[in-house]
Amino acid sequence: MRTYLPWIYLALAFGFIYLPVCVLVLFSFQDGGLPVPPFDGPSLKWYREVLSDRDVTDALIHSLFVAVGSSAVAVILGFLAAYGLARHTLPGSAFIRLLLVAPLTVSYLIVGLGLLIVLSRAGFGLSLGTAGIGHVVINLPLAFAIIYASMGAQHENAERAARDLGASEMRVVVLVTAPMLAPAIAAAFFLSVTLSWDEFIIAFLLTRFDITLPVEIWSMLRSGLSPRLNAIGSVVFLISVAAVLILEFTTLRRRRS
Amino acid sequence: MTASVHLEGINHWFGSFQALNNISLEIKAGEYVTLLGPSGCGKTTLLSVLGGFIQPTNGQVRIGNNDMTFVPPSQRPTTTMFQDYALFPHMNLRDNVSFGLRMAGMGKAERHKKADEKLDLVGLVADGSKRPHELSGGQRQRVALARALAVKPDVLLLDEPLGALDLKLRRAMQDELKVIQRQVGTTFVHVTHDQEEAMAIADRIIVMNSGQIEDAGPPSQVYNQPATLFTADFMGEMNHIPAQIKKGKASTNLGTFPAQDMPDGAATLCIRPETIHADGRGLSLGTAQVKNVTFFGAHIRVILASNEKPDVTLLAHLPPGDMPKEGSKIPLSVDANALRFYPECC
Repeated sequence: MRTYLPWIYLALAFGFIYLPVCVLVLFSFQDGGLPVPPFDGPSLKWYREVLSDRDVTDALIHSLFVAVGSSAVAVILGFLAAYGLARHTLPGSAFIRLLLVAPLTVSYLIVGLGLLIVLSRAGFGLSLGTAGIGHVVINLPLAFAIIYASMGAQHENAERAARDLGASEMRVVVLVTAPMLAPAIAAAFFLSVTLSWDEFIIAFLLTRFDITLPVEIWSMLRSGLSPRLNAIGSVVFLISVAAVLILEFTTLRRRRS
Repeated sequence: MTASVHLEGINHWFGSFQALNNISLEIKAGEYVTLLGPSGCGKTTLLSVLGGFIQPTNGQVRIGNNDMTFVPPSQRPTTTMFQDYALFPHMNLRDNVSFGLRMAGMGKAERHKKADEKLDLVGLVADGSKRPHELSGGQRQRVALARALAVKPDVLLLDEPLGALDLKLRRAMQDELKVIQRQVGTTFVHVTHDQEEAMAIADRIIVMNSGQIEDAGPPSQVYNQPATLFTADFMGEMNHIPAQIKKGKASTNLGTFPAQDMPDGAATLCIRPETIHADGRGLSLGTAQVKNVTFFGAHIRVILASNEKPDVTLLAHLPPGDMPKEGSKIPLSVDANALRFYPECC
């Protein structure tokens, strides 16, 4: 009995985490009109319908665009901040670090509302770009923290050596620092992509005509449950999993070897 | 490519701590110099001043005929070989070695050719496409040397380059460094705290202590005629015997010895253990009782107590052969020219 208990515990824990996702994916293959038991199918008709819906495919492309664009900006800014703070002694550097990381503790709702007020006061129209700005705000602290944590003294000596061999500051950063930190930079990038990809509140508040996928899903939800939503959800899930797998196989695995 | 180095009145403070105290030093072009001293003596700070990583609080650094005091490392005719080698982990050996040439704007084919020549010099030409993590410590050290030499510096600065290697490899690399230095003719400035390494490798040893130069000269001079008591002790084992000098004669517990040109007053008589003999050569030190005998292969290390003054202990390195028995009494003598007196000061 005692040997079974841990396994039962494990099954329950994983069931708790993964059962909702599994049900969602399962009923995306439903042949009928409602995503509830009994399951008849499997059928790909909802995927067909979803992928031929311009609104959904546009939203999907918008989401990818915002995720990749905002993550790239967040990682570049985070890297530069980390490099500056790790390699130079600045007055009040502890306070600057605190200010950089502090947005992690602010709720997305507050970040979104604040940006909404500022942008509308400043006369900026809402667009995918403004949603991207919001995602940079929430991803920058994370990118900074990941990259800053991996900047060690052994990297600093290699940078000194590069300078000694005649490299300008710019070339030190591009040819030595950034490549040495590639695993951390990639980890920060893919994590930002997955967070931006399914972020709802900020995207909802800061977009108007062009919207991202989570906002599209929310507007579809208002017309009630449908296996279409399950199909979209499955696609979103698949893309998130793909991002995590790419990260695992390209950078984390190589780092360990 | 080679150049002379002139340091004039270098002082450097880290906050209120004076790391370098009025250092003036001339290094000839093509000379192999070691900066030797205990940790914290300022030798690495001095190397950083030469390399341009630290600007001295005051004083002047000239390389060749040019004032380099405020020139950044990238524009100096020096390269530094760092203690941890500081190779670029994401580049293969060829790219590591040719990095400096790439910075100088040399094309890929040409710089790879030059890199292979330098890798050949250190015996790693077959491994050009390996990454640094695939190499052993000694091999990484060679790559760091090849990378530093590839830019043809006038002066190569080596910061404890052999510190991370095991003893056997260290001795082998010492010989190799010297051979390579002779081959390329570059001025080498090598920092170490190991006096055997310094003696094995240097044309001239600069002994440093608490930010000052204590002694400078060829290894045999620094070892046999050390300028100060600190150098005498740092370069190897030494017997200290208190002495009183009066009119060119030093009276000690072991007898009276000639002490020409020494001022009257209290002094310390220093005798290297290998200049003490048991066969009667030189000046007599009386007889002594053997307290402890240790076999070292090339010599026997013997601790003795003087018969006449049992509280005076002496350390001697005697030739291997018949081991004196513990408790036995043997006559001791010392080479007449091996006596060194240091006046008691302050």
